[in-house]
Amino acid sequence: MSEKPESYEAAVERLEQIIDRLDSGQAGLRETLELCREGRELVTYCSAELDAVSESLQELNLDELAARLEAEPREG
Amino acid sequence: MQELPGPFPVGRYARKLQEELRRRARVRLVGEVTGVSRSKVQAYFELRDAEGAVPCAIWLDDLEKAGLPEGGLRDGAEVVVGGGPDYYPGGGQASPSFAFRATQVRLAGEGDLLARLAALRKQLRAEGLFELQKQLARPLLPKTIGVVTAEGGAARRDLLAGLARRGWAGTVVWAFAPVQDRRAAPAIGSAIQDLAAVPAVEAIVVTRGGGSLADLWAFCDETLCRTVAMLRVPVISAVGHERDSTLIDDVAAVACSTPTHAAEAAVPLDCRAARGELTRGAAALQRVGQGAVDARTRHLVSLARGPARALRRERAALNQKTREVRAASERGLAERRAFQRRLASVVLVRAARRAAGPEAQARREALRRAEVAFRAHEPERTLERGYALAEDAAGEPVATAAAARAAGRVRLRFADGRVGARIDEDGSEG
Repeated sequence: MSEKPESYEAAVERLEQIIDRLDSGQAGLRETLELCREGRELVTYCSAELDAVSESLQELNLDELAARLEAEPREG
Repeated sequence: MQELPGPFPVGRYARKLQEELRRRARVRLVGEVTGVSRSKVQAYFELRDAEGAVPCAIWLDDLEKAGLPEGGLRDGAEVVVGGGPDYYPGGGQASPSFAFRATQVRLAGEGDLLARLAALRKQLRAEGLFELQKQLARPLLPKTIGVVTAEGGAARRDLLAGLARRGWAGTVVWAFAPVQDRRAAPAIGSAIQDLAAVPAVEAIVVTRGGGSLADLWAFCDETLCRTVAMLRVPVISAVGHERDSTLIDDVAAVACSTPTHAAEAAVPLDCRAARGELTRGAAALQRVGQGAVDARTRHLVSLARGPARALRRERAALNQKTREVRAASERGLAERRAFQRRLASVVLVRAARRAAGPEAQARREALRRAEVAFRAHEPERTLERGYALAEDAAGEPVATAAAARAAGRVRLRFADGRVGARIDEDGSEG
């Protein structure tokens, strides 16, 4: 991937721009192929982001999380 | 230094102070009760809000007359007291003290709370604290959200149901806190701050079920609301029901009417729908990309085929022309031969006519000779003797060397057929 998107919304916004540009029919062959490549990368990124919050809900208690965060630096 | 009046005896001054304070207008005050204590004859407490506090004292007789419910005067209770300032000058042994001498006391009603809420709301709005949270960016698809609520409340279940409906299954960090009593506001405030301190937490939901304004009063706490307003993580409030409006709703990034709506505000993206749209987007990209390549490929192929096709077309046209020219010249030759034969027969018939009559025999003889002579002059006879006739492309005889040179190519007609020949000057010399 050329550059990781800043966020899911940034990726979706760029994807919409790409599809609009492609739909306009004004892009030349080289640009079209480049946009399609970038678009496919963005789809892959968004899909991975959705996967990350689709498996199973994880519930943590703030106190447990605090204990875990405190333990991490010692482990590192 | 300016010379001040006095010195006066302090006891007399204390009495004067007491008289002056007692002359002040009697008023009602509203606030939260803290630090309740009792002597044999009086009850003492502080009445406070976020801005300040006043020590209060009430004779137990007056307290009894007020008819508060059992345990009504307790820490955390919102009360309205009526009375005025008083000063106890003390005595030989007793310490002096100041207190607001309450003669009436009642629990604060909805109206009192609403009036306090209105005043707080006006103040916080004037300070611009309602806008700060609303300017924060809320992630469309957070991976981790923090939730402040009561551990056993229905709000927790409703929030989870809302998240499930979104198709979202990220991480929820629960920070359980009391949501209705004197301890609630500080506990909620520190829970929110603790959650905001966790870097992974991208949004915080604060929620509890419905109740009276007094039940929800913790969510109108000025300190809590100032904390929320200054937070850099967006807070989504869902406190009480639709008709309830608490101060935290005003300062939060988003105010929702139910925990289910709060789930939707915390995760603005409908994950299921988003997956569908993503699939469609990917298909559109594939289609457009493939379409662009196909269209260009067809164009290129047609361009590549162009010259070959043009060449074939030209070649076919050329062949056609060649055939037509050949057919035309052969047709011309045949016509000329036919004409020559017709001419020859006319000459013979005329000669025969001339031979008829008295001198028929002589004419017949003359005719025979003429015929022999004529036949002798027919080109075929000459050719039969081994001569050849040079003809140009049109079949016309080429009778001179100059004509032959001019023609460049000739056809040599022999008795048994024709052959093409190229005029070669050098050859003639050799």
